[in-house]
Amino acid sequence: MTAPYLKPLPQVSEENRPFWEGLSEREFRGPRCRSCGQFGWVPYPACRNCFSTDIEWVPLSGRGVIYSYSVVHRGPAAFAGDTPYVVVMVELAEQPQPMIVLGQLDDCPLDQVRIGLPVSVTFHDIPGEDVTLYRFAPSTPVGSNGGD
Amino acid sequence: MSATRRAAVVGVYTTEQGKRLGRTKVSLELEAIKGALADAGLAHTDVDGLSPLLAEPWSKTHMYWAEQLGERPITYIGTGQGEGAVAKAAAAISAGTCNVALAWVAHAGGGNSPGSKAVPTAAPRMPDFHWEIQGAYMTPLYALWAQRYMHEFGVSSEDLAQVAVIHRDHAVLNPDSVMGRKGPVTVEDVLSSRMVADPLHLLDCSIENDGGYALVLAAEDIAKDCRNTPVWVLGGAEATATDVYQTFNNPWFPEEGKSVRRCTDMAFDIAGVSRSEIDVANLYDCFTITMLRNLEEMGFCKIGEGPDYVREGHTRLGGSMPCNTDGGLLSNSHNGNPSGMSVIEVVRQLRGECGERQVPGARIGLALGQGGSVHGLASTVVLAHD
Repeated sequence: MTAPYLKPLPQVSEENRPFWEGLSEREFRGPRCRSCGQFGWVPYPACRNCFSTDIEWVPLSGRGVIYSYSVVHRGPAAFAGDTPYVVVMVELAEQPQPMIVLGQLDDCPLDQVRIGLPVSVTFHDIPGEDVTLYRFAPSTPVGSNGGD
Repeated sequence: MSATRRAAVVGVYTTEQGKRLGRTKVSLELEAIKGALADAGLAHTDVDGLSPLLAEPWSKTHMYWAEQLGERPITYIGTGQGEGAVAKAAAAISAGTCNVALAWVAHAGGGNSPGSKAVPTAAPRMPDFHWEIQGAYMTPLYALWAQRYMHEFGVSSEDLAQVAVIHRDHAVLNPDSVMGRKGPVTVEDVLSSRMVADPLHLLDCSIENDGGYALVLAAEDIAKDCRNTPVWVLGGAEATATDVYQTFNNPWFPEEGKSVRRCTDMAFDIAGVSRSEIDVANLYDCFTITMLRNLEEMGFCKIGEGPDYVREGHTRLGGSMPCNTDGGLLSNSHNGNPSGMSVIEVVRQLRGECGERQVPGARIGLALGQGGSVHGLASTVVLAHD
């Protein structure tokens, strides 16, 4: 039996359910406005460009590049055992409206984390909970002595 | 044009500020309110405007304090940050909807630092896409901002560290500051302090402590009979914009600026004052990066040139616009919602009460509050004595 997951998890609501269900189906979805065509992140109930409520959830590539990052050495209580861990902001590949997504980065030596590094979404089912979370990892394996 | 009734800050008070004072929030609030009213020479029965800073839930908080003050008919109900509260209370006074307004805050028992919360016994559920799900909190969010800023503008950790050095030097001259008694720090001290969230070291971060403070504003006719020199509110404004609450619109550092730029431009316009006329300023410095970005966003230098502006000595005591003369949030005090502390130091400077850290002849001052990580919520106020 694994230890219970004690970190914060999202409240799944009618508005955001398609996103979290998408993750459990291994799909990273984003809201796109049927009226003006803009993507929106983070998801809001109305389009942040034209204020239309005619929104559809579409599968996104889940690929992007690191826009910024921080190696966290002091974490909140439930994360204290994970330090150092890497928090990233990833600019997704979809354009023209850039979507910048906050998440954590795995599988990358700390000395290889850099702005511009190509990364992809990974999916993580949470044992004992009805939620799947997303994280990021380098799109191609990164060794500790450089090369990407 | 009809003559507008002016408004002034007539009373200020700061309780003891310290790591853990062992006091309740309400005892600090009462001491601060009583102290500020006494400083003004006014009674609690004079109060008809209330602005508990960032109060939650706001309606109950206002009713509690209206009742505590003797079931006073309160005709101005404010919320917001310190500088925004001062700006809006002054506007209410000028509009005639109240005569004497209080703004205050107190904080007891810690709770802001990452280690202060216990590990829960079950995974807590957060709204939607909350940053805490990702292991982020205030310091990593500002660290992400700093990292991108340093990348775009070629800024170094040394550039950030010099802010902490200057503000500590100021705190050393402030006997009431939390960190002044520890003495000055060097750039090397900042860089060798432990990393909290790369690129922010411990000494790049503001402190966290208990304490309270209050301000009293009054209409011109009342202000003239108060105990102290009135410090007039020349102009103020607040603004909000999306920032890294959970995401933001790219670019993060647009030429036209964001909320800090907008409220500052508006405050200067209303005040009819130019930037070069500011004698003393107190700008929100929750992290070293914040101070650099504020100087840029407020138009004292161009975007990316904050480090040069600080290196040239403008913000030091003796410089062209001494800033954070009390030591700021980095070395004076950061008590939960500290935005109004900046106004209090500016009021004291304009009254000439600052002893060793006094800016000689200071007549016009500026204060900036912000928050809502990182530059989302901002408010600016310009003050002066006659």
